[in-house]
Formats: sequence, structure tokens, C-alpha cells
Amino acid sequence: MITEITQQEYEQIDHLQPMLVEFYSKTCGPCKMLSFVLKDISKKQPDFPIYIIDFDENRELKEQLGVKGFPTMLFFKDGAEVSRLEGLKQKPAIIKEIEAIA
Amino acid sequence: MSTKVRYINQDHIIDRQHQSEQEFLTRLADAKPTFEQPQVEVNPYLINPLCALVLFRTETEVAPTVTVCGKRNEREDISHSFPAATKHLLPVLGLYENFTNKVVISLPDGRSTTIDITTGPLPEEVCRCLNIHTSADYLGTNIMFLTPAGKNLPTGYDYRGDIRWLLTENTMFDIKRVANGNIITGSSRFCHMPYNATGLIELNLLGKIYKEYRLPGNYHHDHFEMEDGNLLALTQDFSRDTVEDMCVLLDRNTGEILKSWDYRDVLPMDVGGSGSQDAHDWFHNNAVWYDKKTNSIVLSGRHQDGVISIDYDSGALNWILGDPEGWPQEMVDKYFFTPVGDLANFDWQYEQHACVVCPDGDIMMFDNGQYRAKNKENYIKNRENFSRGVRYRIDTEKMEIEQIWQYGKERGQDFFSPYICNVEYYDEGHYMIHSGGIGFENGYASDSLGAFLDMKTPGVELRSVTVEEKDGVVLYELETEGNFYRAEKLPLYHDGANLELGAGKLLGSLEVTEEFDTEPEAEEVMELPESWHNVFIEEDVDRFVFHGRFERGSLVMLCLENKGESHRYFINTAAVWSLAMCSGAFLEKDDRDIKIHVSKRGLSGVFQAKLIINDKKFQTGVSIICQ
Repeated sequence: MITEITQQEYEQIDHLQPMLVEFYSKTCGPCKMLSFVLKDISKKQPDFPIYIIDFDENRELKEQLGVKGFPTMLFFKDGAEVSRLEGLKQKPAIIKEIEAIA
Repeated sequence: MSTKVRYINQDHIIDRQHQSEQEFLTRLADAKPTFEQPQVEVNPYLINPLCALVLFRTETEVAPTVTVCGKRNEREDISHSFPAATKHLLPVLGLYENFTNKVVISLPDGRSTTIDITTGPLPEEVCRCLNIHTSADYLGTNIMFLTPAGKNLPTGYDYRGDIRWLLTENTMFDIKRVANGNIITGSSRFCHMPYNATGLIELNLLGKIYKEYRLPGNYHHDHFEMEDGNLLALTQDFSRDTVEDMCVLLDRNTGEILKSWDYRDVLPMDVGGSGSQDAHDWFHNNAVWYDKKTNSIVLSGRHQDGVISIDYDSGALNWILGDPEGWPQEMVDKYFFTPVGDLANFDWQYEQHACVVCPDGDIMMFDNGQYRAKNKENYIKNRENFSRGVRYRIDTEKMEIEQIWQYGKERGQDFFSPYICNVEYYDEGHYMIHSGGIGFENGYASDSLGAFLDMKTPGVELRSVTVEEKDGVVLYELETEGNFYRAEKLPLYHDGANLELGAGKLLGSLEVTEEFDTEPEAEEVMELPESWHNVFIEEDVDRFVFHGRFERGSLVMLCLENKGESHRYFINTAAVWSLAMCSGAFLEKDDRDIKIHVSKRGLSGVFQAKLIINDKKFQTGVSIICQ
């Protein structure tokens, strides 16, 4: 399931669950493409939480998480970042990271 | 709103040259030209406007001599004698531009025929000689060949600075004469930004391409001919996230990759970074040399400020020549050299190019000196910096290094090139130092690489300076407009076959271009994209190049579709900034102009090319044929 969240909402989500957090920008072609990739993944794994965050509107959070550009995908498990992917990636690369934490 | 898509399908230059050759051979057969009235073909292979071919038959075998007469006096004549034959196809090289050249064909019995060959003006983008200091005696019949670093053209200058050789194809990077007398340089066919072309081309100085060696990872920067004729070539694997970190050995006859070396196997990627390093282009391999004495390959890595030696057979790391700051201590202890000798004048090299192994094992290179430090706080500004040729003596037993020669430091920013360039070793004390990447803004060394500077901007000057010194005396200095990647001094003619007839060969293969497995939701419309997008598709025998203009942040995808298949290629419209731009040949003035290459390898059939721009899928009306 894909959910768009803000910094405040990010602080309230369950950080112990395995999850994918993606930072995107509305001005970024690769981010637009990635949204379709994530939609496809979500269709196949509807229970896996995917949170998307607007890079430009949540600057404090992106600095807190050390996100330097967009799109950036962070993979969390048990409250800790396990891995990250920077730039547009195809489904197999993202699914591999999801399977490593799910 | 107007809509438009441009399309061109052009044969490969090898095929066009073969067709031209067939045509002039037919004329030779039909017209039966004689020694007294020979057939003259100007620019017979279509890409060198400063050459011609003189054809005739004689009843008995004779050995003719061609002389291109100098503009001023006979000391400037360029002559070459050809083997005895009855059918003569004589390359005429080194014609003056926009001039009626006097060319004399003479026979051993004293007979001669004089013909006039008129050439036209050269293209506007040709870079002119601004200053030259040398003598006819020193340069002789040699020409200084310069290879472009931008949209300029490969050009050869004589001792007066007159252009005597030019290719109208933007071939790139290194240029070397190989054992059979041909030259090998980079092809001009675009594949991947920023400057990756399909591979290498082997050609004669008429411009006839005998072979194109295609590489799946393309060719960049440099190559080296082995004793058996096979080629070391610098390349990469586009399926991974780093570039310019592989070398391959190519079979000269088939183009097959026989062996490869991956520097990621022996070097850490995140240490010792130069000022231009990023994670993607972590090593930036810009030169290769094979050293037979030690059976090793010596490689220059601009983005680690290092020249490395690896074992030819095993690929194991032998040593690293460079400033050890920032490297793990265990690697410093094992692989780095300690300076000895005149330490007051010793400098490490930074962001260097063109490593050369001298006959005695010394290492020469062009030390660009960009940043001239490892630590950001110590970076030197370009206007306070220098570039130089440098020769180091290394003792691989004691792991000591001594600087024994340098040229250029004393010239400061006037000789400073933050990128490209090379050195040549001719003999002890006799060297060439080519500083081809000089760029000034308002009189000072620019902070930008030349490839990013526009010569038409007021205050911007791009220069290339090539120097030769012998025993400390400068005997040659050429200053031209523009930036040139490398310089190579060669005579126009050689003792082997200066022309061989027959069709050229396209060897090796391109990559299977990576497809995108997800298609964005887009409404298909039966319209062409707006003219503003400037869509242009160039189809070739083995690939096509898609050009288009898109606003930053647009979602763009190229689709190839037929009834049974769909292939998708994502087009990145995000701004991409390169910290290295050794050739700006493929750069566009408007950074919204984007091009991608799609190899036909792995595709079979006829496909309709369609274009997704944001939420609409447009038609292009173009069919791509993949056999």
C-alpha cells in the first residue's frame, strides 16, 4: 500500500515494521516514473507499506535521514535503515531490497 | 500548435565509402586513364577534403613518386614513392585547403606529369593555428595531428601551422599509428553521454575506414596496440552503476573481447578521491599502456589522482603512483612510493592523463594538476595552478620515486589544462608536452572545463598548446584555437600500404540496450509530438539515436511496438552534471536537448516508435527495422 505522508505523519508511523520510504520531487521525471514502478510493486505486495514523502516540502526530515537527492528509497526494519537506493530503479532491484527486510 | 518528427536512415560510413570506392574503380575501368592523363578523385572516401587519389595504368611496371608541392618553396614539398605496379592508385595526402595544389607524379625514367588539384574551404568549426615556432628542418614532413575535445574536428598542422589533414567526422580521443601504418582512433558514432562512442575505428589517412571495432561498453579515452596486433581498449559495463573502470583486450581480426580487467577487483572505490571524483565515475581511467618488460598494464585514474600498475595475467595490483593522502595505511605501505632525491622540487601529479612507460621503466605523464591537493581545504585555484609534463623514476624494490624531469610548471596558468592532454617520449631528453585543454575567461584560467565554455562568449578563449623540447630546448610550439584531446606527430605517408581496396568491416557488437520493465499510464493519441520537442530519429545499421527536447522533470519514455512485442526505454530529463567532460562532442547547447541511443542488438522485427510525454503517448510515424 502506498501512502503519502508528511514529516509529522512520519513521526507517528510504526517504525518497527519493515517499510519503504521514498523521497520524491514533483519536478523530477525519474520520480514520476518511479511512482508507476512502486504502484506495480504495491499491486503485487499490497500489504507491504510504502510511504512517499515530498522532498521539497519536508526538508528537515530529509536532512535528518541524510537524503541528498531524489528519488531516494530508504528500506527500514526494526526501526533502523537497512539499505537505500538512489535514483530510478527497476522492479527487481526494489523487490530484492523489500524481500531482504520483509 | 504544429507537430513534427524528423527521421533519417543513413548507411554506415563504411558502406558509403565502399560505394564511393566501387564508383571510382568503375570509372578507372571505363576511362582507362594514362600516366599523362590520370584520373583524379578528390576526397575519395568522403571524410577527408584535403586528399585525393590519382589513378592510371602503365604498360610496364613502374614505381611512381607523388609530390605535393609546397606553397612557398620545394623545401615544403611532401613526396612519397610507391612500389612498382601497372595499375596505380596513388594517395595524395597533405593538400592545402581552398587552393589549387600543384601535384607532380614522376617516374624513375624521368617522365613526370603535373596536375592541379583544387580544394575548397574547410568547415567553419575548424580550429586555426594562432602561433607556431619551429623550423622545416625540425618538423620535416611530419604533421601534428590533434584530436578534438569538442565539436571541433581532427586536424593536422604542418610546420607553418597550415592545415594539411582534416576529417569531417568528429572522431574522438586517442589517435595512434599502428604497426601496419593505419591509424586507430575513437569512432564518431554516439552511444552514451557524456562522450561514449560505439568503439574504435582503424583507417588510413585518406579517411578510409577498414574496421570499426564495436564494444558493448563502448570506447573511451585510450587504446594500445599489443605486439601481436590485438588492442587494449578502455571501456566499462553499462549494466552497473560505475563507469570508466574496465579495460579489454580485443581480437584485431574479429573484434571479439579476449580478456578483461575490472579495477573494482583491486581498488577501493571510496578512497583517495580527487576533486572531481564521484561515486559513479570513481576512477576515470583515461590512459592505458602495456609494459612488456614487467608484463603489466599501466593505467591512469584521474579521479584517484593515481597511475596504477596491474599484472597482465592475474590483474593483481602491483603499485600505485600518486599522493597517498586519504588511502588506507595498509595500502600505502604496500603499494605507494616514497619520494627521494630533490624533494624541494618534487610534486605529485593530480588528475593526470596519458601515462607512458619509458624504455627504462620510468613513468611519464601529463600532470593536469586540477585542484593539486587531496584535501578540499588545500585545493589550488586554476588561475594559481600549473600543468606540466613530468617524468618519474620508480624503484619497485625499494618503493621509492624520484622526479627527474618536468616541463610546464614555470608557465603557470598560461599552460594550465584542467582536463585532457598528453605527453610523448621520442628519445632520451626529447619529449612532447601537449596542453590541449586551456580555457580563459577574461584573461584568467577559467574555473570551468573547456568543453563547457562557449568560444563565442566575450572574454572566453579556448587554446591548445603543443610543445616539443629536446635536451631542454624548445624546438616546436603550436598554439591553436579550441581544445584538443591529444597530439600525435606523424608523417602523412608510411612504408606500408597507404591504401588497400575492399569493403570495410563492422566488427564486435554493441550492447543490448537496457529496457524499462514498467510502462507509465498514458493515453495513446494519434498525433505527433509538438514541433517544440524537436524530435529527430537517426537510424543506422546497428542502432538508432533518438533526439528530443523536453522540459526538466517531464516523464518521457520511448516505446518500440509491434503486434507481438513492446520495448520501453526511459529518457531521463533530470539535469545531469559531469565533473569530467573529456570530449564535448555530444553536448547540446540547450541542456533540455536530450539524446539516447538504442542498439538493435536483441531486437528483431519492424517496430513503430512511439513517445510518452507525461500522460500522453504520441506517434512518431517512424518504423525501426531490426534484422
